[in-house]
Amino acid sequence: MHSLRSILAAAVAALALAAPAQAAAALRVITTTEGLASLAREVAGDRAQVESLSRGVQDPHFVDANPILAVKLRAADLLVDVGLDLEVGWLPPLVNQSRNAAIQPGGPGRLTAGGLVGLLDLPTGPVDRSRGDLHPAGNPHVLTDPRRALQVAQAISLKLGELDPAGAAVYADRTAGFTRRLQADLARWQAELKPLAGRKVLTHHRTLSYFFDWTGLQSAGELEPRPGTPPPPAHLASLVTLARREGVKAIITENYYDTRSDDLVARLSGARVIVIPGDVGGDPQARTYQAYLELLVRRVVEGLR
Amino acid sequence: MRTLLLAGLVGFGLAAHAAQAQEGHAVPPPGGANPLARLLLMPDLSAIASFAAVLDGYEVGALSPRDGPQGPSGKLTFLFQELEVGLQAVIDPYARADVFISFTPAEVAVEEAYLTTLGLPAGLQLRAGRFFSPFGRLNPTHPHTWDFLDAPLARGRLLAAETLAGPGLDLSWLAPLPWFVEVHLAAQSTAPYGGEERLTGVGRVSQFFALSDATTLGLGLSAARRDEGTGAARDLAGVDLLVKVRPPAGRAYAKLEGELYTRRYRGAAVPTDGGDGWGAWAQLFWRQDAYLGYGVRWERAPAGGGAAPGTEQRWSAVGDWFLTEFQRVGLQVARSERPGGADGWEAVLHAGFILGAHGAHPF
Repeated sequence: MHSLRSILAAAVAALALAAPAQAAAALRVITTTEGLASLAREVAGDRAQVESLSRGVQDPHFVDANPILAVKLRAADLLVDVGLDLEVGWLPPLVNQSRNAAIQPGGPGRLTAGGLVGLLDLPTGPVDRSRGDLHPAGNPHVLTDPRRALQVAQAISLKLGELDPAGAAVYADRTAGFTRRLQADLARWQAELKPLAGRKVLTHHRTLSYFFDWTGLQSAGELEPRPGTPPPPAHLASLVTLARREGVKAIITENYYDTRSDDLVARLSGARVIVIPGDVGGDPQARTYQAYLELLVRRVVEGLR
Repeated sequence: MRTLLLAGLVGFGLAAHAAQAQEGHAVPPPGGANPLARLLLMPDLSAIASFAAVLDGYEVGALSPRDGPQGPSGKLTFLFQELEVGLQAVIDPYARADVFISFTPAEVAVEEAYLTTLGLPAGLQLRAGRFFSPFGRLNPTHPHTWDFLDAPLARGRLLAAETLAGPGLDLSWLAPLPWFVEVHLAAQSTAPYGGEERLTGVGRVSQFFALSDATTLGLGLSAARRDEGTGAARDLAGVDLLVKVRPPAGRAYAKLEGELYTRRYRGAAVPTDGGDGWGAWAQLFWRQDAYLGYGVRWERAPAGGGAAPGTEQRWSAVGDWFLTEFQRVGLQVARSERPGGADGWEAVLHAGFILGAHGAHPF
């Protein structure tokens, strides 16, 4: 009997060790992307335990619906997702599997960030997949614009205040501090980017519409002829012609894409390939949202110099 | 080499494109539909079509009977396999519904139609309706999600001619543990090889462990007992394994998975659909990138049909080309070894497409 008790005690201890460290946080926040997680950490500080389902090195369209992620969602007080069908291929079954009613779409513990900012690339005309795997409700890559990121941070702050009224003032203070810090950087970044306004660049996927909206850079097109489709040689040829004609000096691509097509177009057109992290955590230097934006701006400025 | 070839093609394309560019060629934007149509309370609607061309080196239907694409020996045969229509939506604040209707040359059938609760307490979830039994890895899934182009022999010989399924209730529980542990208890009426529907109890425990950022281990145990009347029962047991290695950056992965099933009858004469026995399958699938995947599979099952009693073994190799997320072409070649040296080759070329909004596939 004594030995059985010892075994049970050891098993409980092992389980406790295996469980993620639970700080004295009031809330548990799960986000779909590292960018959203970074914003949530800025807002919540120690009052929330924040974790992202995807990694910054991952293409957020194609995360596996690994049941282990449902375990993270099971105890979430708040799920922050981008929406706009960015996570449609993997998040819905995980939410269903989590059995967490609060984080269902429209639930009290769900915040969908994409619907909170001014959207770009809303398709006009018939929406079908002859146009590729597009996002019918708008481009979901909203966090490449720090102004929109601040709107998302504000929304997270308000949501956390609803879920944890005792911490509402803390969230508001932290959000104000984050806003001040980011706006200071924003002014510096804008000064660095100002000479580049109007310059045309190519991207691999249409991920930088919001960055262009902020910086004044212009998109000359994408390596993917339609979202989610690989570039055939004729399309690459058209891009080489276009790049020469329009004076395109750079092809910007996230580091989770295969860059062989980008390299080829760059070689034949005289442009340069700029590889950027896809999100916070997509590069060792991009550990926070500010660091990610800093790196994004630096790579683009240096690449277009 | 591939880059050189691509460079050559691009060079050729450049000349052609120059003329087009000079003409100022542009595609005018189309006009009309509402881009937010999906948000207007419509369920997700999808249709998944499967077609095949088969060339078998022996009479598969007689010597190795099974569900799946097959044709007369030595004759190239084109097949329309199935059109699966899916309707999926959250129907009210309490439940979602998933309905899959299968159109085949033989019949139109409701494959699955069930409600799933959204907010039961204590990690519980209830499914009610007609559904694939939560037994093993493969049985609860639809064929278009498989890496290979047909089901392993063992499933058809030991569980059910097509899929073990039926109307009933499935109560599941997600255990409050740091890794994924899900327990299912289901009661259904099933008719695995046609005939009378009889009460079947199914239990399953599945677990998933993250061995690293890239590697996931899945283990499952399943058991089922079907009432065979007059105190008799058919017992099924299964164990399944998955090891998936997918580095977070990129689309490539390798997946090793397999299942072992056993069947045993208790208390009565053995029904005509086979006696006690066991079978297994194991496969390795490598997804090279977003577009290409390759796999090999081994199977073992009790021989069926006109084959001599004993064990049938089969080796298969498959190559899949995913043109986009919505189109797939696959080529599978298999060699079946049956008792008495009656071996034979099979080849299947498959094409399938998905239209509409279809729910994410299981892990």
